[in-house]
Order: sequence, then C-alpha cells, then structure tokens
Amino acid sequence: MTHLENATAGAPKAPAPRPAATRRARRRRRDAVMFIGPAFLIYAAFVIVPLGMSVYYSLLRWDGIGPISGATFYGLKNYIEVLTDDDLLQIIGNAFQLAAWFTIPPVVLGLAVASAIRSQMAGRFGTATRTILFLPQVIPLVAAGIAWSWMYDRNGVVNQFLSLIGLESWTRGWLGDFTYALPAVGIIGAWVLLGLCTMLLVTGIARIDGSLYEAAKLDGARPRHEFRFVTLPGLKNEIGICVTVTIIQALSSFDIVYVATAGGPGIETTVPGLEIYRLAFAHRQVGLASALAIVLMILVLACVLPIQWALRERKQ
Amino acid sequence: MADLKLRDVRKSYGQTEVIKGVDLDILDGEFVVFVGPSGCGKSTLLRLIAGLEDITSGDIEIGGRLVNDVEPRDRGVAMVFQSYALYPHMTVRENVGFGLRLAKVPKAQREQAVGEAARILQMEPLLDRKPAQLSGGQRQRVAIGRAIVRDPDVFLFDEPLSNLDAALRMDMRAELAGLHQQLDSTMIYVTHDQVEAMTLADKIVVLKDGEVQQIGAPMELYEHPANLFVAGFIGAPKMNLLPGKVTAVDGHEAVLSGADLPRLVLPAPEGDKLAAGDEITLGLRPHDLKRMPDGPLELHTDLLERLGHETVVAGHLPTGARLTAVLDGRSPVALDETIRLGFEPSSARLFDAGGRAI
Amino acid sequence: MTFPRIRTSPLFARGLIILLMVVTLLPFLSMLSAALAPSGTYPSGLEWPADPQWGNFAKAWQVANMDELLLSSILIVLGTVPAAVLFATMAGFGLAKLTTPRSAWFYLVFVIGLTLPFEAVITPLYFEIREIGLLNTRGAIILPLIGLYMPFSVFWMRAHFMSIPNDLSEASQLDGARRWQEFWMVQVPLARPAIMSLGILLFLWTWNQFLLPVVLVQEPNRRTMAGALGAFQGQWGTDIPLLCAGSLIILAPTVILFLIFQRQFVAALLQGAVKG
Repeated sequence: MTHLENATAGAPKAPAPRPAATRRARRRRRDAVMFIGPAFLIYAAFVIVPLGMSVYYSLLRWDGIGPISGATFYGLKNYIEVLTDDDLLQIIGNAFQLAAWFTIPPVVLGLAVASAIRSQMAGRFGTATRTILFLPQVIPLVAAGIAWSWMYDRNGVVNQFLSLIGLESWTRGWLGDFTYALPAVGIIGAWVLLGLCTMLLVTGIARIDGSLYEAAKLDGARPRHEFRFVTLPGLKNEIGICVTVTIIQALSSFDIVYVATAGGPGIETTVPGLEIYRLAFAHRQVGLASALAIVLMILVLACVLPIQWALRERKQ
Repeated sequence: MADLKLRDVRKSYGQTEVIKGVDLDILDGEFVVFVGPSGCGKSTLLRLIAGLEDITSGDIEIGGRLVNDVEPRDRGVAMVFQSYALYPHMTVRENVGFGLRLAKVPKAQREQAVGEAARILQMEPLLDRKPAQLSGGQRQRVAIGRAIVRDPDVFLFDEPLSNLDAALRMDMRAELAGLHQQLDSTMIYVTHDQVEAMTLADKIVVLKDGEVQQIGAPMELYEHPANLFVAGFIGAPKMNLLPGKVTAVDGHEAVLSGADLPRLVLPAPEGDKLAAGDEITLGLRPHDLKRMPDGPLELHTDLLERLGHETVVAGHLPTGARLTAVLDGRSPVALDETIRLGFEPSSARLFDAGGRAI
Repeated sequence: MTFPRIRTSPLFARGLIILLMVVTLLPFLSMLSAALAPSGTYPSGLEWPADPQWGNFAKAWQVANMDELLLSSILIVLGTVPAAVLFATMAGFGLAKLTTPRSAWFYLVFVIGLTLPFEAVITPLYFEIREIGLLNTRGAIILPLIGLYMPFSVFWMRAHFMSIPNDLSEASQLDGARRWQEFWMVQVPLARPAIMSLGILLFLWTWNQFLLPVVLVQEPNRRTMAGALGAFQGQWGTDIPLLCAGSLIILAPTVILFLIFQRQFVAALLQGAVKG
C-alpha cells in the first residue's frame, strides 16, 4: 500500500494494516450512546433494576419493614408456595378465567360486526360509532369499575332490566355473589375492550380485497363459507392482535378489580396483581409477593409469545 | 474543484468483499462515469467516496487531502441521490438552502445562492413548493440544485435518472452535460445504463464484481474493449462473440477457423501474441458487419427490427451460433433469408482464452 | 368506498352496531342518573330523577378538591409525557439509524419490557422510591412511569424511524448536518405524526394511571385523577350519587379531549394496539 505524503491530513499515518476509519466509527458509537443513553438509563433505573430486585426478593423471606440485611434466604420456597398453595392457585386461575371473559366476547362480537358491515365505517354514523365505541378506552379503568359496580348494584340497571323482562328471581347483588362475581368482573373488561377489538377487526376486514368475496361467491360459497375461508384467514393478524391485547390486560388487571370488588367475595375475584399488592403492602410478605410477580410476568410471556411467533411466521 | 485519487480501496461486509482493490485517478474537472451491472459495486464505490460508508482498507484523497477519516460533510462533496432524498417537510427553497443554513451562511447570501442555482436549473417558479407537489423531473432539478449551492469540489450522482421516463431522461442527460460544461467541476456519475455512460463521460470506469474491468474514454472502450466483459457490456446491440482457433500464423496474417467460423484471414497483432493452436474468441460489432456477396459469414435471418435509419438483423450461422448485424435501413432483407455478411478485417477484435483482448 | 361491494344485510349490521353503542353508553347513563339523585339517598336503577340535583357535581368537586387534583394530574402529565416522548424519540432514532446489526441485542433489551405487567416491579419500585426519598411526591409517579413507558415508546418510535429512508439521513450528512442537527431539523419534523400519536397514548395512560399512585403516593392531592378516584371511593363509596358525580367529573377531562381530537385518538389507539 502506498501512502502519498500530504500536508493537510496532519495526523500521523497508521502503519498497515491501517485501522479503517476508527475515529469515525468511534464518533458514530458516541452518537448512538448519546441518543439511546437517556432512555436506557431511566429504563434501567425503573424497570431493569426493580425487575432484578424482584427476582432477588423472591428468594427471601422479608417483611419489608426491617433492613433487608435482616431478611432470611428462602431459596425457591416462595415459588413452591405460589405453585402449590390452593388460594394462590385459585387466584392465578381467576386471571385465566378473566382472560377468557376479556377475550372471547369482544372478539366474537367484533367479528360479527366486522363481517356484517365488511367495509370501513364512513360518514357521520361511522364517526359516531367510532367515538362511542372508543369511550371505554379513554376513561380510567377505575371509573369503569365504579360505573359497573353501580350497574351491578342491587338497585342497579342490570337488576332493573331483569325485573323489567320478568326475571325478578334472577336479580341479586352480582359482585357479592360467589358464583357470579368473577364473570361480572369479566364483563366489565369485555365492555372496556369491545370497542377497540371491534374497530381493529372492522379496519382489518375493510382491507381484505373485495374481489375475494366475489370470487368465493362465484365458486358457490355460502356466507358461512365466506366467513370460514375468506374472512377468518384475512383477519388472522387482527385477531392475533386483539387476543394479545386482551390477554395482557386480563392477566395484569388490577384497577377494575380493586375498585369493583376488592377481590371479594372471599378471593373469588382476586387476581395476581391485586394479590401482589396485598401480600407486599398489607401482609408484609415481600418475598412471596415478588415470587408471584415473577410468575405473573412469565405467564404473560408464555401466553403472548406463541401468538406473536405465529403471527410473525405468517408474515414471512 | 479537485482531483480525486483512489488507492487500493477495499470494502468488506463481514466476510464478503464487495470492492476488491480499486485504483483510480480522476482529474480536476473530469466527468467520470462508473458503469456496470447491478451488484457490481459501483454505488458502493460512490458511497465510499462520499464517506457514507467507511472503507475497509486503502486510501481516498480528494484535492490532495486524505479523507479516509473525514466526515461526509467535510469532504467537499455533494451528492444527488437516486431517490432525490429531498426533505419532504421543507420547501424547495429550504431544501436547496439547507446546507448553507447549516453552514451559518447569512440569510441574504443564502437567498442569492439559492436564486442563482434556481436560475441555472430554471426552477425559480418552484421555489416555494414542497417536494410532494413536484414532478419527478422537477424533484431531480431540486436535488441537483441542492448540490450546486454547496459549491462542492466533487459532484456525486447515484443513478440520478433511473426514476425518470425515457423522454425526460434524454433531456436531463443533455442538461447534465451542459451543467458540467458550465460549472466545469469534477463529477462522478453512477449508472447501469451504458448509453448514459457513453454520452456523458470523459472517462468511463467499467466495474464488475467489485473490480475495475477497464478505464478509458468512451470511444476507447468501444473500439478497444480490454476484455470480453467490457466488449459485451459497452455498445448496443451487443458485440457478437464467436469462439475459434488459430490454425496458422504467417508473418502479418493469422488464419482462424472454428465450429462457427469459416476460414478467416486477419491481420495478426504485433508482437507474436498469437500462435497456432491458440483458442480465441472473435468479436464483431453488429455495426461493422456489411452485406457482401462473397462475405465469409452466412446468416439465416429469423428476426428483423426495422428502426428506419437502420435495420437490426438477427439469425444464426449454419452451425447454429447466434449473430446480430445492423444494416442500412433500406437494405432489402427478409425473414427466413440467407444472406452473406463480411467485415473489414481491422474491425475484428480478438480475445484470448482468458477473455483478455489480444 | 367507491367501488361496489356486496353488502351483507346492512340492517342487521346497523342494528348490531346500535346495540353495541347502547351497551357502551349504558354505564355512563346509569352513572349520570345516579349522580342526579339527592346526595345521601339510595337511587334506583336508570331513571331520570324528578328533581335533578346538579348541585351534586359542585359538591363532589368541592369535597374531592377537584381543582387540586386537576392541577396535580396536569403536573404529572407535564412531568412525564414530554420527557418520555423526547427520550423515546431519541432512542428510537438511535436504534433505527445509528446502530450496527451487532448491537441489535440492545433493542431486544427494550422489547422484552413490552409485556411486563407493572405489578411485576411495583414492590421493588416502592422500596427504591423510598430509598431515593421520593415517596409521597409526584416524582414517585413521574420517574418510574417514564421508565415503564420506554419499551413501548422506544419500540413505537423505532418502528417509525425504520420507515424513513436512509437517503434522507445521508443527504443531511452531506449537507453538513451534525447528528444533533439532523435529528432536530430533519428527523423530528418528519416524525411529527408518530410523536403526536405517542403523546396522546402516553397522556391517556398517565392520566388514567392507578397502580403507581395507589402504592407510591398516600396523599390523594398529589396523585393522578384516576388514583385520587380510588381514595374518593374509599371515602364516599356509600354515597352513590356523590360517588357517581365525582367519577363523572374525573373521567370528563379525557373524554372532552377525546371528543375534540376524536380522529387522532382513534388512530393512535388503533395503531397503539397493532404495534403493542
């Protein structure tokens, strides 16, 4: 390699093999650090570090009041308790029941609406629909919880309606009922998510090529065939998104349960989020609370990742 | 304005080397075109010169200054992108003046420079529009204007005409040539279109697989391609390439024959480069073939393209080898006809078994 | 849609949609009817009261210290959203345009936080915040929220910057822009729609945030509106008219903003779901 001497470059030439523009590479790395740094630092400080601490606490028996140095090492016993204790297992089961309630009604109703209109909602009616259906997404979940606790009240609209249609014997205080409290809470979640899922599916179906339906019709497809062979495959992505969102919301629910039932009656509507809060701050079992927190995090991942992988595979 | 030197420039992505040691001298004020098929590394080479990518080894000098480690903005280059890369949120005026604004040029002076560029490119009425409101050709002008106001030492063009339609492309080609004359600055231009290369360049650099195949003036490449690749790449229709063998060399004459060739006697190149028994390839430009009643090539026509001023005839030789000839437009040729073609012996090009010109 | 479509029973569709709208609105109406009953009484179902007590709203406003709550929520939003949007925009740009494939794992570190339930870190956050001495201040909500928003926000902004052609970045480099100038003068103006949507989403999430205020801030007047509603319910939960009036006041600000910026909100929420 021949280096031509020149005055302007100034810097002493590196011997061959020359380091290829390392100064610029370093500058670029510095730029990257400068841009990513702030986000990373605050993320590390308030997510990664606490997450690590959660794992650490989950191995301890600690009341959270005394110094942590006084805590006793407890190994995996907290995890064993989470996975064997009847109450905790029921609480985790509650979360999955809620997930079914949060997911199935919005997706089914959303599909019904979407395949019934099968186009973008336009005009004033469309705008009104969108606005109203999105309202529950905009208000605090706590407010939704309060609104529905009043709906479910002995004197509330639900019982009023049942009386009106002659089902007086069915009326009850829904949120205090051991059998119906959990489904009642589930319906609150379904109510919140209904609009979002419906709009996602309507937007999705409007994107399906209309000629596919015409082709299916020419092939002799009946409406249920159209739904089975055109609508469902075309909406796979949107359905996947809906299910992901609703499952995350259900498994990590807290606000609605906290205000609507506070987990009662008994522990019929207690969900992991609420139990973590109670264990850590009321029962002073920080270790157990943290173990439950880690299990909850893993459960969410275990539900969501397969859906995401399935969606990604389809894209490629 | 500046000259430019590349010394053994190499670029690798991981294990794959895409530029395999390019040496190149570009003179001050020269219009140089990098040409080659897609994937040959011509755009990469341009981006290395611009500093948008780091070279893996070697040296790049602009105006006598080693710029390996210099940021793009400090290299004194301006680039026109294939996509034009206009800032969508800025008006044409702001787009063109952006570099000056960054350089903290006073507003009055900036306005003047933008106005001057707009005048040169005849786009004064467009100055207050946004890129989205412009046609492809107009965007092209703005992109060039943005380069002009920076008064760079070297202009870089990355396939600037490939997004335009054919008619516009021809106009812009002429304008670019005019612009080069007017600005008299060093320009490097990347294209895959050999017509653009031939019409615009002072000097063409033919690239293939990251290696320089030949550097030279357009006619030099046309007349004396250094190898089979350049021979096939430059010139349209493509040069006919027929394999053959040297049967005898006799002083100033060489005798060729081959499966597809009748016995041919050609002037032997200087310096005993041919010997009896050598495998060679004979290159014949379609334009050099003429109808001759006693011509050595017997072409059975199966394709005719009458362009008016000339007629492209394609067909096969008795052995089946394909051959293309360009004849006079009024030449009475029919399909499925056998015609005899000949050529000036001096227009024939010979390539050795390795594909290099003899 | 301009091209003809085979419409499947538009009447059925419309009926279904109207039914859904009624179901959606019903809880709001039932709250309103309860809120207008005389305070301290036990209202009954959905009925327009003979003598609507609009004064309940004034009373709820007063007993809940709404002006202080509103101010507190605004302060928390102002402390959280601009900072989170700025950090996320910078990081999204950095991750999309400045990193090499070798540092892709860095992005993964952010992405793994996407599905993280806030409850999973709330316990250690409490002790961390206590350690820093921010317990019971608005900082206890603002700082963790910025951190917790990073996975989604960075993911969101990176997705936007990935869609911006590199040419623009390179053109600005050749025009003489330093990274910082390129960021502010070219990238941020182009990212405005993405930044707007992110801002809307983060505003909603912050305003409606409940868990963090409940755990980290005892004083209702330093909480978000949603967090304060929890305290309000604890105090006035038995007075249903007052509770409903208070709830309606508390959910009003976001609803009003939503009605004004309906289009942007809907777009943001839909995209937010798709990307999240």
